[in-house]
Amino acid sequence: MNKKRARAVILLLVLALIAAACSSGTTDTTSGDASPATTAAGGTTDPEPTETTAATTDEPVVVRAAVTGGEDTLNPYTYVSGFPGWNMLMLQYDSLMQFDVNGDPQPWLAESVETNDDLTVWTLTLAEGVMFSDGEQLTVDDVEFTFNYFTEKAAGRFARDLRGVESVTTDGDRTITITLDAPNPAFDLVALADIPIIPEHIWSEVTDPEEHQFDSVTNIGSGPYVLVDYVEDQSYRFEANPDYFRGAPAVDELVVVVFADDSGPLAAIRSNEIDVIFERISPEQIDLLDALDPIDISQGPEFTTQMINFDVTKAPFDDIAVRQAISKAVDRQDIVDTVFLGAATVGSPGWVHPEKAVYNPAVAAERDVAGANALLDEAGYTDSDGDGIREFSGGPMSFEMLTNSSDSLRLRIAELVAEMLAEIGIEVTVSSVETATWEEAVWPGFDIANGRNYQMAVWGWSAPVQANTIRVAELVDGNPDIGFLNLTGFSDPAVDAIAEALLTEADPAVSAQQIGELQVLIAEGVPFVLLAYPDGAYAYNSAVYDGWEFIAGQGIVSKLSLLDASARP
Amino acid sequence: MTPPAIPANRPRRLLPRSLADRLGWFGAIIVGFLILMAVFAPRLAPYDPSERVARPFLPPSSEHLLGTNDVGQDLLSELIFGARVSLTVGIVAAVVAMLIGTTVGVIAGYYPKRLGSVLMRFVDVVLILPFLPLLIVLAAYLGRSLTNTIIVIGVLIWAAPARIIRSQVLSLRSREYVLASRSMGAKDRWVILRHILPRTGLLATGSFVRAISGAILLEAALSFLGLGDPIQKSWGSILFWAQSRGAFLTPAWKWWVLPPGLAIMAASLGFALIAFAVEERINPKL
Repeated sequence: MNKKRARAVILLLVLALIAAACSSGTTDTTSGDASPATTAAGGTTDPEPTETTAATTDEPVVVRAAVTGGEDTLNPYTYVSGFPGWNMLMLQYDSLMQFDVNGDPQPWLAESVETNDDLTVWTLTLAEGVMFSDGEQLTVDDVEFTFNYFTEKAAGRFARDLRGVESVTTDGDRTITITLDAPNPAFDLVALADIPIIPEHIWSEVTDPEEHQFDSVTNIGSGPYVLVDYVEDQSYRFEANPDYFRGAPAVDELVVVVFADDSGPLAAIRSNEIDVIFERISPEQIDLLDALDPIDISQGPEFTTQMINFDVTKAPFDDIAVRQAISKAVDRQDIVDTVFLGAATVGSPGWVHPEKAVYNPAVAAERDVAGANALLDEAGYTDSDGDGIREFSGGPMSFEMLTNSSDSLRLRIAELVAEMLAEIGIEVTVSSVETATWEEAVWPGFDIANGRNYQMAVWGWSAPVQANTIRVAELVDGNPDIGFLNLTGFSDPAVDAIAEALLTEADPAVSAQQIGELQVLIAEGVPFVLLAYPDGAYAYNSAVYDGWEFIAGQGIVSKLSLLDASARP
Repeated sequence: MTPPAIPANRPRRLLPRSLADRLGWFGAIIVGFLILMAVFAPRLAPYDPSERVARPFLPPSSEHLLGTNDVGQDLLSELIFGARVSLTVGIVAAVVAMLIGTTVGVIAGYYPKRLGSVLMRFVDVVLILPFLPLLIVLAAYLGRSLTNTIIVIGVLIWAAPARIIRSQVLSLRSREYVLASRSMGAKDRWVILRHILPRTGLLATGSFVRAISGAILLEAALSFLGLGDPIQKSWGSILFWAQSRGAFLTPAWKWWVLPPGLAIMAASLGFALIAFAVEERINPKL
């Protein structure tokens, strides 16, 4: 009996000790993880005195944000989604260049970026006094290590950015020279502003990042925030890095709550349980949320696209007349008004978003049903049996249009397009399928060499594809090595010639000229029918924090929004 | 084996016959009303439900009594036409379920030894399967179409009718006249068709009506989850769109969510009341 009792007492004691360790663990790890060398002991709740204007009170600014779906341990090899996963990742890390409000890369970790005339040699000068959150200094060696690491451990997304990098060399304490094997006018956009600089002293021990068990020790960056707490599929807690090289952030603590679906955040922001939604809200919610008092909406154009793809390699879509007729018959404005309730930009047939400087206004879309019918009549597609559907060599012009069932807006787009194409004698049956089925039909194995198994489909690209207009060749080039996003199988030697020249053109004026021409050719050749660019709209509680900055084409989720206004590029 | 004609051995009824009858008639009126609505939908509906007739997200007005949905289709017309899909799926799925259930029940009851016990263990398995998850998995696997919805519902709800029918067949097969005809050399098929089926048919009616009631609810659930055919206008798919376009969080629930919800409830309740009344009359052991 006594033995048992003694055991129980010991067990209780141990439990109590563990509990004590856990409860003090939060504060301990906070200061421990954040920066043991630089943070004054115990001084975690008081925000550092900064030159900020936003935080006039002594109360720390705490912002609770909502995301849909977790992002794993949130480091360069584990984050899940391009948006907002990458955006949240970059709160902990810095890149050599940083997007400004217009979406243009500006010097950041590199305080100056220079290139030679043919854009093959990029010379960067590192900013002084940049520290990682564990107190180690960020040096040119870390930059060199980062480039080599991502290239060697190619599982991550960043290896793709670095294709074409021939060598990275350092010179002295602050100069880095990157040599490319071919001119790349977009290197700053796709690589310098995209790649997080990781600390060599941590990552040199991570030999297999795909299998590595990441913990708080590996999440060390030079960024404005430190991830201090992570509960899988529940939440992330970031604390401000008071020694950030651009000044302490305006928001002292950022808690990101993971929701399972997008209706959860909408309810939570109404009931004041969260302060901002790090996802685009759907168009019908914009006015409803804006009408509520402390909630405001940050809205602007984004570079995501909604389009119709068709298999250009098969009849009748191999006939340019059919594609042109479809492009003329769809009412893009109607889709913007009806499906997006006006919160979108009408799609340009030339691919490039009208907000972009290189947009060619000559290619604006105009609906012309009579013209479309005339085109089809001339090309010999007539309705010989009088059922209202034209015929082509392979039978009646009735096609299946695939759409993914998880996106209800896309399903509505498909229904509307079917209605519009009925007016030119093309019958479209909408099939709503699982996202995986839809992807597998349109882009089998994510490799266009595998061909395509669909007739028509509603498709959309995420913002980076549009953001970088120089790389439009990826989308339209007939050579599958260059046009690796050419899902429709489009091929036109004239388009290929300009698109490939554009990839390496060093002179911005010439390049702008080429993009202008290319838009005309794309609008004529119709490799796909671009319908709309949906706007980004984000809801936030302005009483808690209202410094949100909308980066053109990318939205509000970035370190820009959380930094003091004077620290933004 | 007490002959059912002796009143003393009859179990007491749950409700006096008149009340059950009245409830049954009430159910019949609801169902009749809904069937009329489905049949005369093109005449009753003010607009074509697939046509975009006004601005999206309109609140109710004299032109659009229930407002419009997210692409400007008339919600009242959708509701009226929705009766067609919902009732069709309910009835056809119940027919499928009864075909399977009756076949399994009759065979298991008529050959109770080996074949019957194997079949009934299978029925047990189907009955204890977690129902809704299985339904969702099956629907997602088979893909979205009206036929698939009917098949999925049908193959999942046949087990309960199968049990009821088997117990009836078990008692029928040992009746004197069945024994008599068998001893005179009647073949199994003849006995089943001549003596067993006609006497289980009545019992099956109750199960059938009850299955319709369940199938309507399941169709609504599937469509609401987006696993039905979202292009078909059923009451469940109206709810699916209401949910995916945020109507549950806005005042629009009063005209977008409530009416199809009430319609589903009415249809299910109507059939359930009829089933209750029918079973009151015919079920020997209720």
